[in-house]
Amino acid sequence: MTRITENEDAREFRSEAGSLWRITFGPLIWAVHFAASYGATALICAKGGTGFVEGLRLGIGIGTGVALVAIAWLGWQSWRQWDLLRDRDWENDQGTGEDRHQFLGHAAFLLAVISFIGVSYVALPVLLIGTCR
Amino acid sequence: MTRPAPLPVAEGTYPPTEDMLNEPVTSEEQDRGKAELRAAWKTPQGWRYISAVNNTEVGVWYALTAFGFMLLAGLLALAMRVQLAFPGNTFLDADRFNQFFTMHGSAMMFLFAVPMFEAISILLLPAFLGARDMPFPRLSAYGYWCFLIGGCFVMGSLLFDAGPKAGWFMYPPLATKEEGVGPDIWLLGLSFIEVASIAAAVELIVGALKCRPPGMRVNIMPLYAWYVTVVGGMILFAFPPLIAGDFLFELQRSFDWPFFDPERGGDPILWQHLFWIFGHPEVYIVFLPSIAIAAMIVPTVARRPIVGYSWIVLSAVGTGFLSFGLWVHHMFTTGLPQMSLGFFSAASEAVVIPTGIQLFAFIATLMVGRVKMTLPMLWIAGALAIFVAGGLTGVMLAIVPFNWQAHDTYFIVAHLHYTLFGGMVFPVIAGVYYFYPFFAKKLLSERLGRWAFWLIFTGFNVTFLPMHLTGLMGMPRRVFTYPESAGWGTLNLISTLGAFVIAAGFAVFVYDMLRPKSRQGQIPRNPWGAGTLEFAHDIPEEAWGVRSVPYITSRYPLWDQTDLVARMDAGRYYLADAPDHQRETIITSVIDAKPIYVQRVTGPAWITIWAAIFTGGAFIFPTFHIYKPAIVCGAFAVVCVMYWLWTSTARPPKDEMRAAGLGLRLPNYVSGPDAVGWWGMWITMLGDATAFASIVFGFFFYWTARPDFPPVDAGHAVGTWVAAAAVLGVLAWAATLLAREVNRRGKVMLARLALVIAPLSAAAAGGAAWLAVRDLDPVSHVYPAILWALMVWLTVHLCAGIIMQCYCLAGCIFGKVTPRHDADLRNVTLYWHFVALKVVVTTALLGLVPGWLP
Repeated sequence: MTRITENEDAREFRSEAGSLWRITFGPLIWAVHFAASYGATALICAKGGTGFVEGLRLGIGIGTGVALVAIAWLGWQSWRQWDLLRDRDWENDQGTGEDRHQFLGHAAFLLAVISFIGVSYVALPVLLIGTCR
Repeated sequence: MTRPAPLPVAEGTYPPTEDMLNEPVTSEEQDRGKAELRAAWKTPQGWRYISAVNNTEVGVWYALTAFGFMLLAGLLALAMRVQLAFPGNTFLDADRFNQFFTMHGSAMMFLFAVPMFEAISILLLPAFLGARDMPFPRLSAYGYWCFLIGGCFVMGSLLFDAGPKAGWFMYPPLATKEEGVGPDIWLLGLSFIEVASIAAAVELIVGALKCRPPGMRVNIMPLYAWYVTVVGGMILFAFPPLIAGDFLFELQRSFDWPFFDPERGGDPILWQHLFWIFGHPEVYIVFLPSIAIAAMIVPTVARRPIVGYSWIVLSAVGTGFLSFGLWVHHMFTTGLPQMSLGFFSAASEAVVIPTGIQLFAFIATLMVGRVKMTLPMLWIAGALAIFVAGGLTGVMLAIVPFNWQAHDTYFIVAHLHYTLFGGMVFPVIAGVYYFYPFFAKKLLSERLGRWAFWLIFTGFNVTFLPMHLTGLMGMPRRVFTYPESAGWGTLNLISTLGAFVIAAGFAVFVYDMLRPKSRQGQIPRNPWGAGTLEFAHDIPEEAWGVRSVPYITSRYPLWDQTDLVARMDAGRYYLADAPDHQRETIITSVIDAKPIYVQRVTGPAWITIWAAIFTGGAFIFPTFHIYKPAIVCGAFAVVCVMYWLWTSTARPPKDEMRAAGLGLRLPNYVSGPDAVGWWGMWITMLGDATAFASIVFGFFFYWTARPDFPPVDAGHAVGTWVAAAAVLGVLAWAATLLAREVNRRGKVMLARLALVIAPLSAAAAGGAAWLAVRDLDPVSHVYPAILWALMVWLTVHLCAGIIMQCYCLAGCIFGKVTPRHDADLRNVTLYWHFVALKVVVTTALLGLVPGWLP
């Protein structure tokens, strides 16, 4: 019999014990990158004039690089948390602390992938269109 | 004075062992538990029935009301189709046609799609989670009555020929200049309903995260709960921009503050931004919960667990985020920079990926399962077919050059009806068939169901498929007639005939749903062989939700956990009785669903109805520019809500602990982040902060969009008063925080003193903010107008904060708030964290930013 006050898996799977926020970090980076790109473009195109457009494109390019690296790092972390290669468990559908831990890794990994694609897509217009007009 | 002892925490055995679960419950125990629960959860009888707040009652009323509004909006559409059947038809004149299409769109979105999601979730979510009820039943009831009053008011305007007629998105300058009260009815009536939506979102997020049964960790909770959490979060970030927009819009309509008037520095495009930041996520807000119904039906039909549970979670969360990056694709023709359009085009294409993934997950589940083609599955199949077609035209419309061509034509009408019928109407009807045995304890007719399906499915395609072509041939939306020479006559006639076939299908469906079924007898408990908890329901019906709250270890407990239902029925699990005849449910932790405490749930009440009536008055009187009764109503609404909170929430309990069953003892009272009230406050304030951020966005939008913001010769806010507002506002926050801390340490007198200083300081801060902008004329230009709007927003929040501080002071004096039982004070402090943020941002915008702008 286990007492409710002692937590058998607290130490091992503590990382996400209190919060669901971690799995949204990937999409949050996408959101920040998106809002920053849109805001910077609106600002430069309205107030900056044509001379600043190259700077804007470079800036968004750097921002995209940073965002992609951050998402890739998150993806790597959550891939390890998912731990697919060790136990080949795709579903993680048991009511155990370990499955919950790996499931959150799996979900965060997939969200990192979609965020990576999203950030890449959003950066494409800057690569392909060189003007505010 | 010594520090008071901390509140007790859960103690005893958890998780329960197999031996404990096998131990039989004596029949006396079972009878006692049943009798106590029946007494606690008794539904009011006779005319008192409308004072019920139980989710099974409110959910059904909510759903039927939303469905009624949908039928009305459908009739408006039929009338429009009759008008458009022949060129030069005179069935409706232009003015009435405008009212009809405006109300058709507005009602379908605001009175049907979103409320229907809330209704279904309120009705079903506790059952999916084996909970007794939602955490805040009176809030659901209040939301429902607000919805009913607001909906009747908005729809009723048509009877007086006073409906809004500027289109469901109310674009200025058409809508700001429109004569009559139509736009005011739209703005205030729907704002009122938006408030109800946010209330529902709070309820549903807390419900999905905190009211799961013990053991139901996040990796095994029903997919519906995942979707509800995501959609609740989306409502919090999507609806507030519209509320902020409505606020600015109504200030212009009522007081001529020129937010959208370009001649005085305003900009109509700001409305389009605020509307579509709401409007596009809105589409996903109605789509995701409907597809969530499919996620519950598909595994049952395929007789196996869903394939790719994690992928569907990815899909829900990913769509939730990406859908906020699409709003400008409704504004491709407004002349924004090419690069900006590109961002939104790219995001619009990206959102297809998560949306598609969940559909593939469903198809994969069906492929590997042993499918039984039941009636709900037929509707889901129809939904997938139609939605995919709508999604594909969506991909086309996300491409800027194509969008320019198709903009404002019937191609758009076809596209949006394909997405909404496929993404919302069909899955919801599938849900009605699937869950009817659960909520009505009867079955719908298989034969009539197939008739309804084929009529609606065929009629839908006959109506809307030709519209793609009508649109490509150039027919614009929202025209009340067209000349014969345009050559659109035949296609329009086909569409009109199809519309009547849809109507016939709905008539069959409505008849089947409402016809008396007393001859049917008792239905099987789990007619579809489902694996999720809602089909552990009691037949015949019992009002207690679940006989005992189970311990869950599987995604499909009815399939995997043998003896589960028998044990639930015997009262082997948690909260199998109600010794005090109080309504209770069990609150668990967010990730692992470990029991934390027993929450007292509020029971039947009239006060929620009164609160809704007075809130309605506060919104409806200003429509006709009658302000004094509106203020009185607002004050009464506040009094009602205070009375309801004071008498029935967070009262120090008689006993500190409750034997919850299976050797577990749980506290009856918690404070801070463990408590559902704290979560409710936190979630509400996130939404509120979003609305505030939208107004701040407006300030900077004017600066980027307009060369004359601020105008060269503009008067500015008075620096001294701005600084005073900042200092006093922060002081009020600090005093509240101090009160919380010293109260916790047992220094009650000091806490009371701080709670006297805090409201005085807050009032002074509001006064200073007013003095800072008093001499500016908000009618003259948008710059003083937005400063005034920020001041008004801040002052209203300060006033609410003052009421809360006084509430805590009274609680402190009359023993509702004690050093150990400080939930109210902690929730109010949380509110004040957000107010402090608003004070700092507002005073910075008033006092500092205008000087910094280049």
